[in-house]
Amino acid sequence: MSTTTKSDYLLLFRGNVWDRGLSPAQLQKVVSDWMAWFERLKAEGKCVGGHPLEDEGKVISGKQRAVADGPFAESKEAIGGYFYLTVADEKEAIEIAKQCPGLEYGSVVEVRPVADECSIKQRAQEYSTHELAGATA
Amino acid sequence: MLLFRGPHWDRGLSTDELQQVMDKVMAWFEGLNERGKIKGAQPLGGQGRVISGTDGRFVVDGPFTETKEAVGGYLVLQADSPNEAVEIARSMPTLRYGISVEVRPILAECPIFQRHPELLRRVTDPAAEQLWVAVAA
Repeated sequence: MSTTTKSDYLLLFRGNVWDRGLSPAQLQKVVSDWMAWFERLKAEGKCVGGHPLEDEGKVISGKQRAVADGPFAESKEAIGGYFYLTVADEKEAIEIAKQCPGLEYGSVVEVRPVADECSIKQRAQEYSTHELAGATA
Repeated sequence: MLLFRGPHWDRGLSTDELQQVMDKVMAWFEGLNERGKIKGAQPLGGQGRVISGTDGRFVVDGPFTETKEAVGGYLVLQADSPNEAVEIARSMPTLRYGISVEVRPILAECPIFQRHPELLRRVTDPAAEQLWVAVAA
């Protein structure tokens, strides 16, 4: 991935209540447009995959590893699906995000660069380097 | 899909602690990988944008780095059951340091069809739907 000039981005689609109040015809159009958009990006080689996510799910947190039902239904913040993009740069990823057919109805698209390496691993290595530098200074 | 939320769990840990936790995380990941449970996984960069409004007229820098809700990475699991996915999520070593893991089933088809059974599943180009399903499969 990092050996090419292409960059990877994840589009996270937020909000799963945008379909409320739409007529069946409007809804049909948005869904058709969305699928056609996905198909075009795939054909252009700019989208390498994507999935819708189910409204149900669980959230695990805490030292006790508690399992709770996730409040994913009827939420403006919940992630409803994603596209994995391979594009030239962030600008192109943003331009693609702006084409999302759900935007007009309240969908929000988060554009996130995919990292080669975990930032915490990087920070851990930086700490070690600092300590090493301190020890040898 | 597992979504890891809260990318700043490492604050306040010493270098030694952090190294130990990261070793556990890598071992956890490798163990799952060897068992064929991982279909894909990436950390996400802290930078990013949020696109909203008709035609994506609003583009703002995402406040991803400081919030506990921010998604710091994801993992696509090949689990035998929802229970197995939850159990795998519960075994994530960094849970005790304050992250949460969202467990969401990946769908072959957009849940909008569940909410609106009157919608025609056929899209303008029949190949689009096949592609959608093929990617989800």
